[in-house]
Amino acid sequence: MSGYASAGGPVVFDPVTLPADDNVNPYTFCVELKGSQWFLQKGKMIAYYGSIDFNGIGHGRLDRLVRTSFHSPLHASDWVVAEGSGKMLLADRAFDVNSYDLDQGNLTVRAGNLIAFQPSLALKQSIVPGFLTLIGTGKFVAASNGPVVFMEPPIRVDPQALVGWADCPSPCHHYDHAYLTGVMGGLRAMTGIGGASGEEHQFEFTGAGTVLLQSSETLMAEPSTGAVPSEPGVPGGGAAGPMGSGTGASGVPRLPGQLGDLQRRFGL
Amino acid sequence: MIRFVNGSTSVLPLWQTAPLGVCSGSFSTRGACSLHPAARYFRGVAMFRLQGSKVLAVDVTGDAVKAKNGSMVAYDGQMAFKKLSGGGEGLRGMVTRRLTGEQMTVMEVRGQGTCWFADRASEINLVALRGDTLYVESSNLLATDAGLRTGTAFTGLRGASQGNGLFTTTVEGTGQAAILSDGPAVVLRVSPQYPLTVDPGAYIAHQGNVRQSFQSGVTFRTLMGEGGGEAFQIRFEGDGLVYVQPSERNTIAGDL
Repeated sequence: MSGYASAGGPVVFDPVTLPADDNVNPYTFCVELKGSQWFLQKGKMIAYYGSIDFNGIGHGRLDRLVRTSFHSPLHASDWVVAEGSGKMLLADRAFDVNSYDLDQGNLTVRAGNLIAFQPSLALKQSIVPGFLTLIGTGKFVAASNGPVVFMEPPIRVDPQALVGWADCPSPCHHYDHAYLTGVMGGLRAMTGIGGASGEEHQFEFTGAGTVLLQSSETLMAEPSTGAVPSEPGVPGGGAAGPMGSGTGASGVPRLPGQLGDLQRRFGL
Repeated sequence: MIRFVNGSTSVLPLWQTAPLGVCSGSFSTRGACSLHPAARYFRGVAMFRLQGSKVLAVDVTGDAVKAKNGSMVAYDGQMAFKKLSGGGEGLRGMVTRRLTGEQMTVMEVRGQGTCWFADRASEINLVALRGDTLYVESSNLLATDAGLRTGTAFTGLRGASQGNGLFTTTVEGTGQAAILSDGPAVVLRVSPQYPLTVDPGAYIAHQGNVRQSFQSGVTFRTLMGEGGGEAFQIRFEGDGLVYVQPSERNTIAGDL
């Protein structure tokens, strides 16, 4: 077919030898489109064969599709719909990419890790800030820094290593009790003076399901997941609670001289 | 209810494939290479092989190899390192490179033994050239056989869309070259029936008889912030190979 075959050289792919909906190598995923559609995050397509159109979600023709499978209007600008026929390669900053099949399930994933998904899945913002939930049946592609490890609850995980979770209830925060109840331990953890192990705080999962971890603690740059409506009772919604105590995710910088959570612990 | 689909693939790891004419697994091949003795004795060409995916080992027997300045990490035997001004392309090449902004600082390594090269833990990909031309950005070129000619070529809008300027580096002749990528490169074939479209940020090199055209999908929607996210694309047609990396450089098209 071509004079540029390299016997013994690197593997050369063409549309026939590229896998369909499978990994080309641990860092590149190939999606086959046959008149079908995929949602993908902007800028994750590296190459394609065939004729594929990329349209922003604001495209009028895609309104129906967006209504049925895209429920995160606040970050619609980060997503595009690919449609047409051909084979398309997806990759993300040379991170590991993998595809997952959901079968009448639900999975919550860190917003920065999700690369693409089939419209048979519905994407929604998770109640946990910075995470997205996929519900339904279909395939999606997600990135991780290092291969993904699957664990079963009950488990406590490092916040930086968490990629997502499936089928189990949302996690709660866990603090190292012995370390934080002592005044000295609390001071050390707050200020870092005297040394903090960096492992005083975990996410705790209980119930039946699967927890996905990446094998490093490097976080990916996250796209903004958008602010949720400012309403009483919505976590992260910006409306102050009755006690005036913001949640940890409120993003208000702590002023110097303010003792933070210790202040409340001492009843100040 | 979640099923993990692709833990590993059956595809050969292309970045670990032994190059042409090298006894795979031989750590030091200074003696006769039983598989391709002719390649070693009659052509006297430096032998490129990958050790892992991020270190390039080159066996030289009195001949030379051109490599990115300062990319040597170790050597064994007798080696002389000489900086080549202007990429070893003479005065004309030097002036051209200065004018086109495709500067590269290159050294010539000559001697007997094995020399190892690496650059910022980037993945290294071997390219075999048989009289054809490889087009690569100078920042992505790690090493070439000294017998290969390097030069500069005009790329037009494609280069500009990558944020790499309007010019690119060419490598032509017969021999081997090593190119760098962020993550192992995927080699895609372009043939008359299968044209290929590539994101400018992921493109690293191409070889062969390929026409490239620049596609822009910038519409009023892009300006409204509702673009398709892939506003600039390069379309390759003809007959050849295109190397893409699983990562995107920051380009002016990146946010459109």
